[in-house]
Amino acid sequence: MSILASPLALIATVSLVLGLAAGFVMHRSDFCMAGMFRDLFLFSRTVMMKSFLLLVVASMVLFEAARLGNLLTVPFPLLYSPTAANLIGGLLFGIGMVFAGGCVVGTLYKMGAGSVLSLTAFLGLILGSGLYAEFHPAWAAFAKSTVLFPGKVTVAQILGIDPLITILVVAIPGALLLLSWYKKGALARPSFAAGYLQPAKAALALSLISAVSYIVIGMPLGVTSSFTKIAGFFESLLFRDHFENLVFFKAVPLNATHALTGAVLQGGAAPAFDALAAIQFPLIFGIIAGSAFSALLLGELKIHFRVPLRQYVLAASGGILMGLASRMAPTCNVWHLMGGLPILAASSILFFLGILPGAWIGGKLLVKALRQHDTGACTR
Amino acid sequence: MDTIEFDVRGQLCPATLLVALKEMNARAALPKKGAVKLCFLIDNRDATVTIPESASNMGYAVTVEKKEGHYCIVIAGK
Repeated sequence: MSILASPLALIATVSLVLGLAAGFVMHRSDFCMAGMFRDLFLFSRTVMMKSFLLLVVASMVLFEAARLGNLLTVPFPLLYSPTAANLIGGLLFGIGMVFAGGCVVGTLYKMGAGSVLSLTAFLGLILGSGLYAEFHPAWAAFAKSTVLFPGKVTVAQILGIDPLITILVVAIPGALLLLSWYKKGALARPSFAAGYLQPAKAALALSLISAVSYIVIGMPLGVTSSFTKIAGFFESLLFRDHFENLVFFKAVPLNATHALTGAVLQGGAAPAFDALAAIQFPLIFGIIAGSAFSALLLGELKIHFRVPLRQYVLAASGGILMGLASRMAPTCNVWHLMGGLPILAASSILFFLGILPGAWIGGKLLVKALRQHDTGACTR
Repeated sequence: MDTIEFDVRGQLCPATLLVALKEMNARAALPKKGAVKLCFLIDNRDATVTIPESASNMGYAVTVEKKEGHYCIVIAGK
């Protein structure tokens, strides 16, 4: 059967290819969003945040051009009206990603390159995603009670104007600023790493990958719903009766028509092979495998697990916090910052405003935790 | 010249940078006098940017050598 005849097979194949490309690019450039936000506050380093801005502005332009060409619809599924939950979720996510040493995809590509700490954070992400189910009804009620602008998702919808206007108001000054940085050489990052890809080039590549995902699959990159599926799978095996009573795993939030094939895409947190699984699992596998392939080519695929115990604890706690925050926000930094922010979704702007103080607090706490104890260096 | 080696492979940023800063500060005078070299073994690509940048700002000469599966960042006096 041709993959074109099966919408889910087509989606899974495209996701896998995009994941492989993203994982390769992220490893080569060490495109770590946690590091970008953390180092902005911890060391006043701005070069990676400049690349982040480039990623957002380039995605903004690509998404809007595609929207004007009727290649996609704005907003995409699983984006909701802004609530206080976006801000609080972003704050907790910011702390979690700094503790974990990588955001949800940073954890994946570092794990692919052999990082045992990132594997620990990954396990924490699964656990945190599952723990959220325990208080989902109360949190969902809180989120609902703090909704601003019900029924509106983007700034353009809130203002009642053409999305092109809001995009241009942000993208033009953003592009001019990036151009001035480019002329001063402020986007370049000197590195001694083999096969290094400049983060500005990585930002452009990732914006293209994100745009292809949005056009072909109907939504930008996302991974965290699958983490809840994994958590739900294990919970259903270990605590069947308790699992059956959790309403979080019964909801089916994704219910959208796939523009290219006309298929109805449905999915949720339940550990079932639905459309969300077809979209996200190949992407996750692709990011890990793409990064592992890049590391292998460079001879850098090595595993070192002799790391101070405290760093394992920090990575696990960061992962748990990110897992919880990904569901509370709802969704993660990749969904909000690489997808929602470029279409000026108000919930994603709130998430961004939350992640900034989160990364600042996380950085302060992390440095304190690392300095209080042996750093694990061994003199020979 | 003696070389003091620190193995921080497996650690992520900013732990690798914080280790390097701590050790450079603790032994600040030795490399600058030309008495020793400090060598940090790292496998975290970000540290090939952050450690040399910080060491250069502190007035050290920095070289980065790619080894099998990791990097060795050597800090010495100028």
